Amino acid sequence: MPTLTVNGRKVTVDADASLLEACRKAGADVPTLCNFDGLEPWGGCRMCVVDMSLASWDDDWFKMVTSCNHPVEEGMTVVTDSERVLATRRVVLDLLLARCPDTPLIQQLAREHGIEATSYERNPEPTDCILCGLCTRVCDHIGISAISSVGRGWGREIAPPFNEPPPDCVGCLACAEICPTGHITFTTSSLSRTIWGKDFEMLRDEKTGEAVITRAQAEHFAKRSGVPASYFEKSDRSKRRELAKTFEKLQVLK
Amino acid sequence: MRIESFDQFAAFQAEATVRDESRSRKILVCCGTGCLANGAKAVAEAFAHEIAERGLDTELKLGVTSTGCHGFCERGPLVVIQPEAILYTKVKPRRVPDIVEKTVIGGEVINGLLYKDPSSKQRIETYDEIPFYANQVRVAMRNIGRIDPTDLMDAVAHGAYAGLAKALSGMSPDEVLDEVEVSGQRGRGGAGFSTARKWRSCKAAAGDRRFVLCNGDEGDPGAFKDRSIMEGDPHSVLEGMAIGAYALGAHEGFIYVRDEYPLAVVNLQLAIAEARKAGLLGENIMGSGFDFDVKISRGGGAFVCGESSALMRSIAGKTGEPRAKYVHSTAKGLFDLPTVLNNVETWAGIGAIIANGGAWFASMGTEKSKGTKAFSLVGKVKNTGLIELPMGTSLRHIIYDIGGGILKDRPFKAVQTGGPSGGCVPEELLDLPVDYEKLTEAGSMMGSGGMIVMDDRTCMVDVARYFLAFLTEESCGKCVPCREGLKQMLAIYDALVEGRGREGDIEKIETLAACMQLGSLCELGKSAPNPVLSTLKYFRSEYQAHIEAKACPAGICRALTAFEITEDCDGCHACTKVCPTDAISGEKKKLHVIDHDACISCGACLDICPTESIRTLPKVELAQREVV
Amino acid sequence: MAEHPCVDLSTTEEILAHYPHEEPSLIQVLQDVHRAYNYLPCDVLVRVAEVLEVPLAKVFSVSTFYKAFSLEPQGDTIIKVCMGTACHIRGAGQLVEELQRELGIGADETTEDFTFTVKTVNCVGACAMAPVMIVGEKYCGQAKPARMASYLAEGGNDED
Repeated sequence: MPTLTVNGRKVTVDADASLLEACRKAGADVPTLCNFDGLEPWGGCRMCVVDMSLASWDDDWFKMVTSCNHPVEEGMTVVTDSERVLATRRVVLDLLLARCPDTPLIQQLAREHGIEATSYERNPEPTDCILCGLCTRVCDHIGISAISSVGRGWGREIAPPFNEPPPDCVGCLACAEICPTGHITFTTSSLSRTIWGKDFEMLRDEKTGEAVITRAQAEHFAKRSGVPASYFEKSDRSKRRELAKTFEKLQVLK
Repeated sequence: MRIESFDQFAAFQAEATVRDESRSRKILVCCGTGCLANGAKAVAEAFAHEIAERGLDTELKLGVTSTGCHGFCERGPLVVIQPEAILYTKVKPRRVPDIVEKTVIGGEVINGLLYKDPSSKQRIETYDEIPFYANQVRVAMRNIGRIDPTDLMDAVAHGAYAGLAKALSGMSPDEVLDEVEVSGQRGRGGAGFSTARKWRSCKAAAGDRRFVLCNGDEGDPGAFKDRSIMEGDPHSVLEGMAIGAYALGAHEGFIYVRDEYPLAVVNLQLAIAEARKAGLLGENIMGSGFDFDVKISRGGGAFVCGESSALMRSIAGKTGEPRAKYVHSTAKGLFDLPTVLNNVETWAGIGAIIANGGAWFASMGTEKSKGTKAFSLVGKVKNTGLIELPMGTSLRHIIYDIGGGILKDRPFKAVQTGGPSGGCVPEELLDLPVDYEKLTEAGSMMGSGGMIVMDDRTCMVDVARYFLAFLTEESCGKCVPCREGLKQMLAIYDALVEGRGREGDIEKIETLAACMQLGSLCELGKSAPNPVLSTLKYFRSEYQAHIEAKACPAGICRALTAFEITEDCDGCHACTKVCPTDAISGEKKKLHVIDHDACISCGACLDICPTESIRTLPKVELAQREVV
Repeated sequence: MAEHPCVDLSTTEEILAHYPHEEPSLIQVLQDVHRAYNYLPCDVLVRVAEVLEVPLAKVFSVSTFYKAFSLEPQGDTIIKVCMGTACHIRGAGQLVEELQRELGIGADETTEDFTFTVKTVNCVGACAMAPVMIVGEKYCGQAKPARMASYLAEGGNDED
């Protein structure tokens, strides 16, 4: 298990840990916008940059890297708040604020970094999407890939194919829930759900009447796991009740 | 015939040489993209027709060969008559019977078709006497223009696959690696990483399956050496890759060719098919037991795919988004397997390095940059085209001796190297010897060898804006500094060229540049500020003029520039014909006038005026005049 | 996708038969499809996604990422104006303006009668003949705005 020095503090982490994990373990505050535990790091937002020096390098030679996807090594020295690291984060936030001037999360982060208003040209069509790619990555991760990035560069956006209701979407809401700025909107009720312009039928727990999952998602899970679709329609409350009954029976037996 | 042993290969070489030497005369017609555009195909067909009609092919043992690019594209179509190496430029099909009659049969030189040296105004008879060619040393481009790229036998007669035969028959993979190390060759794609070190690092990676890739995504605007190599001598690329694969123990290769190079794709496909048929690619090459095959992957039109990780994603059928390279592609590259990616020119040099020895290559060039380097010399220079020179040649020699100086003998201003990742080198650095380190020190880079010469009629703010606009369109959009930073920087430049520049803009540009250099994910974003910073470094006063005086000193930025006609005008009407908005009026042989309200400041009149009697002035001066 | 016109899928099937049915074939297949139909019709993309077993969203993503692909039908003749550096400093911008005047369309636009589509492309590697314009398959070197009409008429190159 490699030992690193982060902001002067020694910290030991697993060999397969990321530099970000090491920094956080050492108590350093490294902000991120496109990182999410369980998803492969992406390195797009550049907020998690740190200064890093390998044991074999000259003491004063540091390289700026993104900590989310950088491997750890024995004897690494890391500085998470050097002047150039902070300056880079500030410009990144300043740029994001120009893109998303009305987005509370970005306003908040910018303020924390001393930026009240963007220095750059304000986006004439403000958006909440920061293009962190979390939605498409989580969608890929669960094996659906209903949405993707479209176009490139400044014109890049997240959309379903042909900007029409995505045929592959199962209405699981993972994209909306992972979105850090609340850009992806949806409506859901005990009967139906709508996201990306696609309508879904909800499966209701036959005992409690609660709507727990879309039919499409239950079928997707059933197909992937081999468990019957009916398993997924039970609400948590139903499952707890069943569990309680099982325990009751066990008590009786005793 | 399939070659199944080294002896058979030697016999094939001998046969090819005999065929080549038996031709007492050869007519080489350049059929590169440039010459084809100028009608070279019709010229080649006219020769074939004329010769068949006169029955000269049997009588004189004459051969007509359609070759790859001779590099002198501006003068195309080019025709070379061997063995004298007489070079005819701008040949039209109707001149063909004349050429056959007088030169091919009669041995007489047709003066009017010869190249005229722009400086001495002298007609020059042969290829080797022309300064453009005389000063070159060709390694990667050794056979371009000399062979028919679609004829394997012709290539073999000129040495193709001799390096591969030498490696497979008498060298161990490690010996091949050692020889490449001795050559000191560094990557010809831009960054200049040592070829041998890259190969060794891949070879050390775990796993049995590995790939060799060829980067033919020559995206730098202003560079076309890789296109010419792929079109004109595709076998040199295949040979290099096969040698590399042998050294690394790889059996699969991909050539990634950009979509904009259709002829390169065709010629590579033909070359691969021919090489496979002859047993020079595929299973058991030359009976050595070594297997290697190559596939072509056509790019979809994205500059960022020249970046290694984006290129590999693109070959895998995905969008060209780079990834962090904290784990090198030599360990985890294409399909997450160990991969060596080299540029076209790098691969093309390998065969020659093995055949002639690494020491031969290392004897050319400078201490740290060995060998020769191909450049595309273009822009406002008299002789534009493709050249290959030893590393360390001075910019002055390249631009003035080979390039023949600046068009219309205007003053030189800067030379842009390295494409959008490079920078502009000013006049005071003209004596700079060109190698990787020297260009980087000057704030530019080698890149893929584009050299774009700029004269005083080039605005450096406009040039920087041009590259920003290019990159804004080409950024993949994955990381914030590149995607958003380029967009904002371009907005500042738009303001500068339109006269809306404000104090503090330069500082804003510098802050953004620092963030992009440090914070961007890949080299596209990291190097994007180079054109900006180099023009700021050497031409800061031009920026200040745009901001403070609202004037473009070069008279290029339209919103700031007005045109007027001076007393020297002889009323030739040339300008009235080219003016797109009919803003110029005046009777023939009398002084003309420009209507400033109708003029869109395009500069067409200035470019065409034979008496140089059109001048530019800042628009603000015009306004001041009206006030007075 | 009812509003899009249906296209004949048999060409697509022929193209797909030439490639292994896997993701690395995607860009190659799209290139061929684009050549055959002159754009990427959406029915074709759906079919390609199905056969290559690539999610439709990824096919759409790739189709919009690369500049060689168009999702809209294009004109019979495609005019590409090279925007490389050499062409830029030798006046490529004026060629685009002249096309705007001559045809009434800007970059990435198609004439109403679907005769021409104008595209600006990054360096085509013919820098020595800058500025360069490609009309259909024909390269026009040292192109001059004043000769635009003749380039469009015959895709002819400059005889001067």
